[in-house]
Amino acid sequence: MTTAEFLGIEMPVLLEAFIKVNIVVLAMTVVVMGLIYGERKIIGRFQMRMGPTRTGPFGILQSIADAIKLVGKEDLRPRGADPWIFELSIYFIFVPVFVGFVVVPFAIGWEIRALELGLLYLLATSSVSGLGFAFAGWASDNRYAMLGGLRAVAQGVAYEIPLVVTLLAVAMLSSSLNLGEIMAGQASVPNIVWQPLGFIMFYIAMLAELNRAPFDIAVGESETAGGPHIEFSGIRWSMFQLAEYAHLWIMSIVGSAIFLGGSAWPFGEELGTGYQLLLMGVKSAILIFIAMWTRASMPRLRIDQLMGFAWKVLMPLAFAQVLINGFVIVYDLPLVLLTVQGVAGIALLNWAIQRAVARPAGRPGMAAWAGTSEAATS
Amino acid sequence: MRGLIRSFVTTGATFLRKPVTREYPETHRELPERDRAFPLLLWDQQIDEPFCTGCHACERACPVECMTVLMKDNPNHTSQGGTSSRRKIIDKFWIDYGRCMRCNICVEVCNFDAIGMNNTWSGHESSAVDRLDLVMDLQQLLSQSRAGAVKPWIAP
Repeated sequence: MTTAEFLGIEMPVLLEAFIKVNIVVLAMTVVVMGLIYGERKIIGRFQMRMGPTRTGPFGILQSIADAIKLVGKEDLRPRGADPWIFELSIYFIFVPVFVGFVVVPFAIGWEIRALELGLLYLLATSSVSGLGFAFAGWASDNRYAMLGGLRAVAQGVAYEIPLVVTLLAVAMLSSSLNLGEIMAGQASVPNIVWQPLGFIMFYIAMLAELNRAPFDIAVGESETAGGPHIEFSGIRWSMFQLAEYAHLWIMSIVGSAIFLGGSAWPFGEELGTGYQLLLMGVKSAILIFIAMWTRASMPRLRIDQLMGFAWKVLMPLAFAQVLINGFVIVYDLPLVLLTVQGVAGIALLNWAIQRAVARPAGRPGMAAWAGTSEAATS
Repeated sequence: MRGLIRSFVTTGATFLRKPVTREYPETHRELPERDRAFPLLLWDQQIDEPFCTGCHACERACPVECMTVLMKDNPNHTSQGGTSSRRKIIDKFWIDYGRCMRCNICVEVCNFDAIGMNNTWSGHESSAVDRLDLVMDLQQLLSQSRAGAVKPWIAP
């Protein structure tokens, strides 16, 4: 049996992987609790409230109290629900997120396994959770859940493509799909300098993938009453919540590893692992904070706006980015061209959004109203 | 993009502002002098006896009939060798805070300014487990004014 070294101790590979997975899962649970607490506090401050204050000093134990309450609640299943799919759907959301942690680079050399196709693996596993949302929505025997599940799948599939393509463009620059190598390759200049448009598209697609505002139409409270979550209670609902925030954490770490230089920039490799972990924490915290800021700032999109934005705006721009990266790499042009192109691309994105806002397309199904009195007056 | 940036700036500004929340049980806002909690009897600090003469005016005026008043001869009257000019004085007084609707009519009809609305937080935080605990007797009604806890009432 092959052996591996962990903390200076020689041990079988499987044992080492098992120990690392356990560490990451425990850390994830704590981080998710912190994220839930932090989100409530931060959103509270955005609305000039205080957020939780009653449990422990500054309400810091709120997440623990919530966890205890959720575990203690009854696990309900609607009578009309499909028992197997209802019970299993949550695992289709929960397990892919867990599995994604295998390749997440917390610092240089600090991942469970540095897979050569790590980026592909991560995207492939995280896109399985769309299936879980479809299962949850369908099996709940609830119209709102069904609608939310369908929306989640449509949105997930649509935004998966720009997400993958923008990350592919970065992988072309780094000529690697290994997350650790992509991160280590940015020791001098982070990728956001060469791919500003790519970063913005990644961030938008990431918010949509995570079903976060302003792309939370799948789980929007006012429209679908919570969407696929609606019939879940107790421990199952808390698993939804855990998966959601763990996914947010993964995506923010991957985003900062791929675009912001991760723990390699600045001075990451010289200053040791502690500094690298701190750097990674700060960068991912900034990304998460911006996601919360966005949630506090923006109204929710309509489903046709959301889909139109993915297919008509993000996708052509993402493919154009890949094409231009290819030109620059093949003909050995200076990389500054990419920065110029990125800024121009952001201007183009801005123009497309501005145009859509200034000249809104007709409501969906407007054609059916053509010739009626309402169409004539409006 | 301009609207987008403006929305971010707006929410960012509210983020940096102080929250408007007051953490109620720990911090109490200061109440105005004319704050209207439950009625109290007032204490004449100069002669050291209640203002109330037990004239039943408030009891008759009370729309929800939450008061019970009994009167007696004042043992401290000047004719008895005392210092007070009140011939009659209150003997027993009950107000059922569970029935009182805080309408202020008892205060308006009182000829001696002997009853007033509690303008402190104790008048608002008076929950009890048993409804009978909400029936206040004379000693309970007087104790706050006697201790000087009630702020002087200012006429509009």
